[in-house]
Amino acid sequence: MMRRLRRTLAIYGSVASMTPKTFLAYSIWVWVEFFLQIMAMIIFVYFWRAVYAGGGALNGLSLRQTLNYILLAQIILPLAQTRAVFRFGFIIREGQLIIELLRPLDFQAAEYADSIARLGLYLLLKLPLVVIAWLFFGLQLPANPAVWGAFAVALVLGHAVLFFFDWAYACLAFYTTETWGLSVVREGVAAFFSGALVPLAFMPGWLQGVANALPFAQGLYVPISILSGIAPLSDVPRLWLVQIIWLVSMLAASRLIFRVAVRTVTVQGG
Amino acid sequence: MAAIEVENLSKVFRISKKDPGLGGAVKALFGPRYEDKAAVNGISFAVNAGEMVGYIGVNGAGKSTTIKMLTGILLPTSGQARVLGRDPHRQRVANAREVGVVFGQRSQLWWDLALIESLDLVGKIYEVEPARYRQLLHQFSEMLELGELLRVPIRNMSLGQKMRAELAATLIHEPKVVYLDEPTIGLDLIVKERIREFIKQQNRERQTTVILTTHDLGDIEELCRRVIIIDAGKLIYDGPISTIKERFGKYREITFETGGRSGAVDLPPGAEPVGADSAARKLTLRFDRTVTTASRVAASVMDQIEVLDFSLAEPDLSSIIKQIYSGALREQIAEEMPA
Amino acid sequence: MIRYLSLYREFLIQRFKILMEYRVNFIIGSTSTIFVQAAGLLTIWVVMRQIPSLNGWSFDEVLMIYGLVTLAKSINHMFADNLWTIGWYYVRSGGFDRFLVRPIDPLFHLLADRFCHDGIGNFLVGAALVVKSSVSLGLVWTPLKVLYLVSAVLSGGAIFMALNLITATSAFWLMESIPVTQVIFNTHEFAKYPLSIYHKGISLILTWLIPYGFASFYPASYLLGRDVGAMAWLGPVVAAMLLAISYRVWLVGLRHYSGTGS
Ligand SMILES: Nc1ncnc2c1ncn2[C@@H]1O[C@H](COP(=O)(O)OP(=O)(O)O)[C@@H](O)[C@H]1O
Ligand SMILES: [Mg+2]
Repeated sequence: MMRRLRRTLAIYGSVASMTPKTFLAYSIWVWVEFFLQIMAMIIFVYFWRAVYAGGGALNGLSLRQTLNYILLAQIILPLAQTRAVFRFGFIIREGQLIIELLRPLDFQAAEYADSIARLGLYLLLKLPLVVIAWLFFGLQLPANPAVWGAFAVALVLGHAVLFFFDWAYACLAFYTTETWGLSVVREGVAAFFSGALVPLAFMPGWLQGVANALPFAQGLYVPISILSGIAPLSDVPRLWLVQIIWLVSMLAASRLIFRVAVRTVTVQGG
Repeated sequence: MAAIEVENLSKVFRISKKDPGLGGAVKALFGPRYEDKAAVNGISFAVNAGEMVGYIGVNGAGKSTTIKMLTGILLPTSGQARVLGRDPHRQRVANAREVGVVFGQRSQLWWDLALIESLDLVGKIYEVEPARYRQLLHQFSEMLELGELLRVPIRNMSLGQKMRAELAATLIHEPKVVYLDEPTIGLDLIVKERIREFIKQQNRERQTTVILTTHDLGDIEELCRRVIIIDAGKLIYDGPISTIKERFGKYREITFETGGRSGAVDLPPGAEPVGADSAARKLTLRFDRTVTTASRVAASVMDQIEVLDFSLAEPDLSSIIKQIYSGALREQIAEEMPA
Repeated sequence: MIRYLSLYREFLIQRFKILMEYRVNFIIGSTSTIFVQAAGLLTIWVVMRQIPSLNGWSFDEVLMIYGLVTLAKSINHMFADNLWTIGWYYVRSGGFDRFLVRPIDPLFHLLADRFCHDGIGNFLVGAALVVKSSVSLGLVWTPLKVLYLVSAVLSGGAIFMALNLITATSAFWLMESIPVTQVIFNTHEFAKYPLSIYHKGISLILTWLIPYGFASFYPASYLLGRDVGAMAWLGPVVAAMLLAISYRVWLVGLRHYSGTGS
């Protein structure tokens, strides 16, 4: 039993260890993303300064708190972007679906291993960005290790929520073959409702309602509000619980939808 | 009048050399090292209007590079090319109006468009007069059997269909000069045959000048009376096919059908085995015509083993070319070619 | 010129035939960018409904800036999107050669080869914003102002195109131009807000070096009756100069290509 588990883990581990290699091969893209993120940070810093020019607090948040939140949100924003749509589009176009499904490991689990490896690698690569934000834009990081721990758990949970959501969403690619537009829609909606552009607290009630009905905030707003101190530690267990409920329902939905989509496509002889 | 004149044409590519790994990449950043590679090296020839010439050589010999210079895509490093009296690079647009080119492995058509729409667009780009366009379209459809294909998007075509479509698009503006760079690669015999017929007919009716690059010597034998052979960027032969056959068909093959097991045979001088298949009871020898004769080889073999029958193969072009490619005849050609 | 226009029409007709074949993709593609614009706009709205002005600009005034830059971007997106794909789709595969064996200008051929419907959504959003802004602010559209608007949008589009052309040319050296293009292109994000909120250095860069300011802030200022002096009128000049420069750069790239091949 243990041996089996170890072997299984080793297989998925080796899948995950391939990720950094392919990632670094595209190092130019890492640099590009780096530049773009710095640019976005500069814009946000000036934008929010102008917003707060009148002084005081808005929605209970000071300029300092808002900037802190926004800078962190911008650093991890690319994590909230989807890969599954392109991946599925590619697999279908190249006729690789069958091959992926015939491998002796669960397709979704293997992709998740890849995705979690990306998460780790990503955080590592973004360290310089954190330093820059700290040096030039006044980013403040919490000193309490408990906050970091709570953030880490919330990030992994939120990442999983988005991963399974995207899995279900990307199944649309099975029907449309269009991937660019699908991912643009997904990114536009996520950018706003994940709270990457503006803290949810700024939104009027009805928009907050929409944001809470969508999974995106789980992946970005929740972990970042913990890290930036907007959400107090006492609130963390409740936030985790909500994330776990999301996670379980997204996992179930993604597997169901995927199965239906695959059946449709293979019936058509794709 | 010469349609194409090439004089001392050379193309040197500068290739940056990188050591493998990260260290190599960093080194290349600070002190890039280059290596010059002469893809085409001092080639001269002239092709008359209406002539069809086979341009052959192994992969990497420099055929495509030559064609790219003749179409104006690439600028020669030195020497010059003239096509219909023009410099193809400097007068690129004027040249483009009168030439057509097929790059065998790439399509010039629009992937998602139905063939007829691609052809219409090409017709507009080349400003083919509408009445003439309809006439040619009709003619090409028949010759190349495009009828049903006209409504099919290129992406849904087989290789052979794609190449037929490609040819129609390349010739729809009635170019005076056509370059075909491996047009029959990967095609089956029937399609090849149709394509050859089509090219032949175009040449006959319009005196189209054709330069044909191919690895299929059947194409050459059927279409061209003259071949130019290049190797490592240098021209190594330019002349009629018949001359190659006569002069360089130095080796011939003789095949014996043996009665029993063929066993070891002492070979007569000048002959060497090509293949022995004792199960099929066959023995094939290759001999040098300048050293010995067929009858001497036959007699020598028949002295040693029982021979039921034997046959003498005509020197065929492909085996000669194979020898040229493998370098066996390079010296001989160098000697015999008129300077 | 007339020949190229009618050729462009032919390319366009064929392109729409393809697009109509993939109708679902067409609809998703051409509307998808609306969602991204909506995200940016909702952000501005959510924030600005709580403050009187952003650096002296009301919500509706900011919408004018945002709308103009979006319109300019959509022009580029619709008519020059192939500049993004030149590297991997044309140069790397050798497909670029096909433009060079045809008797028309290769740049024209490249641009005409693919009208990009994905820009339609941006165009609609930009137009809607300009309308919304001018209705809310009660702007009076004299013929001169309409003419000014059209010329501002075209100049803005030209600035986008010219900058993309310059960066796309890097494909002739690097095989892939998207990284370079992406970095320069994204600076237009700055131009979605009044340039006056930024540090002086930033607004200078966006005026004289990467002049997206002329695609948004300056013409918007003029249309809204704010005094920006000669800057209100420089847009077309800057656009024309930038186009000329970018075409020279492109020609250098072409020359390099004919020396080295793909
Ligand atoms: N753009 C290029 N840059 C560098 N080297 C090239 C380029 N194009 C061709 N070569 C090299 O030049 C030689 C001749 O190539 P090519 O003309 O394509 O040969 P052929 O068509 O006869 O197979 C080859 O060694 C090839 O690697
Ligand atoms: Mg070749």
